[in-house]
Amino acid sequence: MNANRFDLGGGEPIITLRGIAKSYWREALEIPVLQGIDLEIPIGSYVALMGPSGSGKTTLLNLVAGIDRPTGGTLEVCGHELNDLDDDELAAWRNAHVGFIFQNYNLVPVLTAFENVELPLLLTSLGRRARRERVAEALALVNLTDKQWNYPRQLSGGQEQRVAIARAIVTDPDILVADEPTGALDAKNAEEVLGLMGRLNADMGKTIVMVTHDPKAAHHARHQIHLEKGVLDRAVEVNR
Amino acid sequence: MRWLALIWKSLLRSRRRTLLIVGSLVLSVFTVAVLQSLLTTLDSITSNPNSGNRLAVRHKSGITQMLPRSYETFLRQQPEVETVCSLQWFGGYYQDPRNFFANFASDETTIFQTFREEFGLANLTEAQVKEYLRDGAGCIVGESLALKNGWKVGDVVPLTGTIFPINPRLTIRLIFKSSRPSDENVLHFHYKVLEEGVPRMKGLTGAFWVRVHRPEDIPRLIERVDRHFANSAYETLTETESAFNLAFVKMLGNISAIIQGITIAVVLAILIVTANTMGTAIRERGAEIAVFRAMGFSASRVLSLLLAEGVLLVGLGAALGLLLAQAAAGGVRSAMGAVMPFFADFEITSATALLCLAGALAVGLLSTFIPAYAATRRPITEGLRSVG
Ligand SMILES: Nc1ncnc2c1ncn2[C@@H]1O[C@H](COP(=O)(O)OP(=O)(O)O)[C@@H](O)[C@H]1O
Ligand SMILES: [Mg+2]
Repeated sequence: MNANRFDLGGGEPIITLRGIAKSYWREALEIPVLQGIDLEIPIGSYVALMGPSGSGKTTLLNLVAGIDRPTGGTLEVCGHELNDLDDDELAAWRNAHVGFIFQNYNLVPVLTAFENVELPLLLTSLGRRARRERVAEALALVNLTDKQWNYPRQLSGGQEQRVAIARAIVTDPDILVADEPTGALDAKNAEEVLGLMGRLNADMGKTIVMVTHDPKAAHHARHQIHLEKGVLDRAVEVNR
Repeated sequence: MRWLALIWKSLLRSRRRTLLIVGSLVLSVFTVAVLQSLLTTLDSITSNPNSGNRLAVRHKSGITQMLPRSYETFLRQQPEVETVCSLQWFGGYYQDPRNFFANFASDETTIFQTFREEFGLANLTEAQVKEYLRDGAGCIVGESLALKNGWKVGDVVPLTGTIFPINPRLTIRLIFKSSRPSDENVLHFHYKVLEEGVPRMKGLTGAFWVRVHRPEDIPRLIERVDRHFANSAYETLTETESAFNLAFVKMLGNISAIIQGITIAVVLAILIVTANTMGTAIRERGAEIAVFRAMGFSASRVLSLLLAEGVLLVGLGAALGLLLAQAAAGGVRSAMGAVMPFFADFEITSATALLCLAGALAVGLLSTFIPAYAATRRPITEGLRSVG
């Protein structure tokens, strides 16, 4: 395997995968999903993880985000060897370092936009006022201050995804992970969300790993990594 | 937003669930509270603190059979005996059959001494007692009964007989106060009124109430009395007042067992309904639970939130049910207190309320814990996939 093929530019790596493997078992039958992934992603990268359906994109993203554990290999993310953390430590680590953006937004329907964004802050030591300021900032950033008292059902899909982005960044995480963030949006709203993510990367220095199979979406990233049947196929720098 | 706000809002997410659980808890806590209070009330009849030195002598064949009043002579002769009083349940009502309260024909010469705690004899003057003894058509009533009917001394109370075919017109000569409200829901009149008005009752009584000097003498006396009248035309069954009252209550069937049975059935039914509803509600939230955990909520934190929701929901229903039962207790007191005097004491005691709340808490924890625990053990990735 040629390391150069996965050169994502210089810089200090924030995500380091060494020989990462993941298998599922159906009874005695091992189903390998990821096989020996080696990858370094520098701080401030914006990576689009691409590949055919079933190639293991979501599985890889979940491992990087610390919501799943590998069956082989080690991964160091934001300075922590994730295999060394127990479940509760891993939860605290996610709260501090990772922001999640999902395909179907996953907002809590009984909470207002404001309350949804505030949710991850409940786990921090921040007081009420400090939380309120952080939420207001995050909502201003996604340009939804005027919708903060709306409930998810009173928002359009694009607005819901922007609330979800505000929720993902409100704790000021180092990494944003997004699994098909535009998969449920029309072209116009998708553009808006992708523009927002681009600014989060360019202006705020967030490292972003985004799973997508949409070439237009992937074009917003700075690098594209292609997965094929559980192995890294190639990395491409996006020319703009 | 605070934790409680989060729990509260999640609680209201499914109106169907909230209504179902709160509604069924209100109903079942209400039922259990009323039934348990009924039991407490029935227990209190058999645990009248003043009944320790009294015996009831009745016909061996049952409460409805009569004994000759002449037995009194033998009873009086026993050295352990202080007083003997003939007492017959009259079962009359005032104006309306529903306006029914305990009323007795009793031996006016010994009634005060035999039941001196119940009549608050220490607070009565000799003149008051004499007023009653002087008037053969007089009666005495408890204060709460008098208050309820607006009676005062000197008023005439026409009673309509239900067991006996007479309708005596009685003049209130004395209103007494006692320490237990149930003891005040009573009217007594001269035994002669019954004997003279109802020929078949001449020389007969339903029971003798015997007061002894020392409670220790009771077992010996019981044995001697029943042996003395054995093989006579009217064999006796002598028992403590508590036992007699219990027998009276038992006429209604084995109430205590029935009540406990119903209580257990209600608790089981509510457990099933709650567990099922909670289980469905939690399973529907698989994706949301996964999102919470992805954001950094630990499994135990999510479990606590879900448990808090369940307990709050069930606690809410239980509290409402208790309030309802409390309100109903007043109704039971006024409606049933007239029919059966001991219901004048009917109330939802704090012990009953605590029992219901503790039971509800247990149901809430139990019914939530199993599905909540299962939900938080599920891998996060699986929960996220369930969005579809
Ligand atoms: N919990 C699981 N049990 C068994 N197989 C799984 C499980 N999760 C994912 N897979 C399999 O792993 C492969 C990769 O899945 P995924 O990472 O979701 O692919 P992608 O996101 O690229 O479409 C698929 O073949 C999928 O069926
Ligand atoms: Mg996927």
